[in-house]
Amino acid sequence: MTAHTPSAAQAGLVEDVARVVEGVPGVAFLKPGLAARLRSALSRPDAGTGRASIAGVRLTPGPDGTAGRHVDVQVVVVRGVRAVDVARAVRSAVEEHLAVRFPGGPGCRVTVTISGRV
Amino acid sequence: MTTHTDPPEGAHADGDDERLPCGRPLSQVWDDRERRTDTPHLAGCPHCQGAVRDLEQLETAVRGLREETRETSAYDAEPLTRRVMDLVRLELRPGCPVPLGDPAEDLWIMETVAARALRSAAETVEGVRAGSCRVVDAAGAVAVRLDIHAPANAGLRQLAERVRQRVREAADRELGMVTASVDIRVTDLVDTRAEGREGDTA
Repeated sequence: MTAHTPSAAQAGLVEDVARVVEGVPGVAFLKPGLAARLRSALSRPDAGTGRASIAGVRLTPGPDGTAGRHVDVQVVVVRGVRAVDVARAVRSAVEEHLAVRFPGGPGCRVTVTISGRV
Repeated sequence: MTTHTDPPEGAHADGDDERLPCGRPLSQVWDDRERRTDTPHLAGCPHCQGAVRDLEQLETAVRGLREETRETSAYDAEPLTRRVMDLVRLELRPGCPVPLGDPAEDLWIMETVAARALRSAAETVEGVRAGSCRVVDAAGAVAVRLDIHAPANAGLRQLAERVRQRVREAADRELGMVTASVDIRVTDLVDTRAEGREGDTA
């Protein structure tokens, strides 16, 4: 697999979106799969890879394979912060990131689901 | 800490009793040390002295662990356990997503997450214990149905109204969920005075 294949580009975009989402205030972490949670409890993932978190971002690419047509984000938020405000901030952050990354590209639809509060 | 992690050659000659290179059983060396029996052999044998040092290191480590345990005994692990189990339950039974924010927004919250917040809000009313809480999509808003156990001496109508108010407030302030309706169902009456008396005499 090379960096130029659509799947590699897609994976890179998912990682970018994950990083953007995790930087939003009020987000505790992206919804991980249970297996990833247990695995991360046993071994610390390499710094910066975010492997354990990618389960919380799903991307349905547009017809041209460049911009995300639909981004589905599932996050666990921090208790004490209004959940809807965090969800809106996540949506805005993702939309802005994709607009910068794909200027002039088709708009994307961002769905945000709060899957937990900690 | 100890070099005796792997049984050396001949370790099984006397069953599980390891024999040191000087020929003395390890158990005897340690036993002598426990009984504070100084033998001429121990004073001149590097193998026995090494075995005693290992035992002392082991004791030091165990004492350290005891101290750590004592220091953390005041730490309440229950919240951490609850959060871990919450995460596991989320994975296994996440429920359905219900709308968050305005109806036109594509924002959602899992039913179990919303229900947990609403149950906690209901239990801020004195004497109320929250049971089943269903949160379902009702044309862009949510309909809440909450079962509670109420104090037997409470006026149920006023109590239900207070619970409803707390639930609505939590839905709005903590979550940002628009509630179309909040139905409260009293499923049991709890005689809190009787419980209190039992507690007094116990």
